[in-house]
Amino acid sequence: MKIMEFCKVLILLSVFWVSAGFAQPSKVLIVNSDNAVFRYGTIASEFKKVLQQNAYQWTEFNLNSHADAEAELKQLIQQENPVLIYCIGTKAYSLARNVASNKKLLFSAAINWRRLDIGEGTYGVANELSSAQEISLLRYFFPTIKNIGLLYNDKFSREYVETIKKDASALGINIINQPINDAQEIGDALNELLPKIDMFWIISDPVVLSSKASVQQIFQSAQQQKKPVYAYSDVFIEQGAVLAISADLATIGRQSASLALMVDKDKVPEGTVQNPAGSTVTLNKCALDALRLNFNQDALDSVNKIVECDK
Amino acid sequence: MKRILPVFFIFSVFITGSYWSAYSNVGSTIYFYNPETNINNFATLKTAFDTYLVNHGGYYFQPFDSRENFEAVIKEKKGDIYLLSSWHLKALQQKNVPLKIALVGTSKGNTMQRKVLSTKKDIADVTMLKNTVVAGAGSEEYIHSVLKQILGKEQEALLKDIKILLVPKDIDAIMAVGFGMASAAISAESGLDKLAMINPNQFRELHSLGFSEKDYLLVAATLKKPEQQEAELLEVLRKMSEADAGGENLKLLGIDGWRAMQ
Repeated sequence: MKIMEFCKVLILLSVFWVSAGFAQPSKVLIVNSDNAVFRYGTIASEFKKVLQQNAYQWTEFNLNSHADAEAELKQLIQQENPVLIYCIGTKAYSLARNVASNKKLLFSAAINWRRLDIGEGTYGVANELSSAQEISLLRYFFPTIKNIGLLYNDKFSREYVETIKKDASALGINIINQPINDAQEIGDALNELLPKIDMFWIISDPVVLSSKASVQQIFQSAQQQKKPVYAYSDVFIEQGAVLAISADLATIGRQSASLALMVDKDKVPEGTVQNPAGSTVTLNKCALDALRLNFNQDALDSVNKIVECDK
Repeated sequence: MKRILPVFFIFSVFITGSYWSAYSNVGSTIYFYNPETNINNFATLKTAFDTYLVNHGGYYFQPFDSRENFEAVIKEKKGDIYLLSSWHLKALQQKNVPLKIALVGTSKGNTMQRKVLSTKKDIADVTMLKNTVVAGAGSEEYIHSVLKQILGKEQEALLKDIKILLVPKDIDAIMAVGFGMASAAISAESGLDKLAMINPNQFRELHSLGFSEKDYLLVAATLKKPEQQEAELLEVLRKMSEADAGGENLKLLGIDGWRAMQ
């Protein structure tokens, strides 16, 4: 009889321990490549806000503040046993992948994520908007644009350019692409390309953007031939791009958190990498006025920043 | 130390005095906060509106990204004009803040809008939204309240199993559905019109699962019967669409004019 009583107590205790274990909030480990970098900091801050709202706990590990990051990260993972590791930036992802390949990993802010070593149990939010998102928003501002030209290097950007062409074609836009082997070909390529197009699109191609001089050459030629330039980043606005559309950093943080919560509940297919859901838009009215180029004024409701001419 | 303290005192009086005297010279101000968008365009709004308003009577524009700070200003002020969403206005009126609508924003002739819950056509009804992500532009509280209204009492329980993804603007929310980052979107109906224009293929893939009640677009409100300066500022605001620069400024807020409330 005493043994029976003891067993009952043991079962009750086990149930208590197990349920207490379930009641523990899930823990996420945030590995940041460098929390002093504004974009990484913004993403991390929004990510944490969403975790907090959903009663998740987190621990942060900033690579820039650890001398032996690899060993210390390994130890921290063993100690904390997180349900998921959120990696901000390529450096953070590469290290986490090395030391915790058996853990669920989620990355963001990794430039060109397709070049990462992606394993099972890896999820992510891409750093760049999809070309279809960019073209859709571009059409919002310039609904009459039909022919867009771009330069690219076949080795680095062939797949991306093929995607752009496909996405643009579905929206009735014709992409005229001109491959180059090195930056010295830019001048001739532009001379051939610019007369055929309504707008030039700067894509993130390392050969086309290999130097400041290459970028200057693009803007000078476009200006001479009175062709507007659209760019994937607002760093080109100062040089004269009329419009720049890129991913919104705060949304990347929130979206990553949302994905992390779904991953923790096994509601997301393995290997899911999403495009950023939020965009940020900079419109250069000074450059538009100089070109006497009209844009859809209703699209002003989507602009983050307007650049006017210095008075 | 004995010498430093009086100097510090005189310096403080000078500084605070200059501040308050400068402050008292400021003309009426338009305060703006909109929980129906997350676009970080405050610097652009401030520059564009200040440039216009200073040249039309010496008025100023102050946008806010925090609801708390905006409401704190309403509590402190006795005059001025407040631009806010009608959802926010109602919430404040329920807290006995005596705001009254003076002007309502218009867009293509309409003063009202309703919000729509859009999904891809494979999601046949709202019950399929359990454990999914719904994208929307605005504050979490606002999106939650619109979703609650659309789901109705019968499906209200679903709310706890829906994750809300906040994005900067309506068009981002709707495209998030088309591109697979969210299962559904809350947006203004006009957001769907934009999608139909910029990406008709994606528009055809979507359908609507429900609508909110109609509500005003942005409103301009005052705390009391406008005095002369506020009345003049309201008139400047009402006539903004008549000037090119003023019209462009209004487009930044998603409207194209104002209509006076009788």
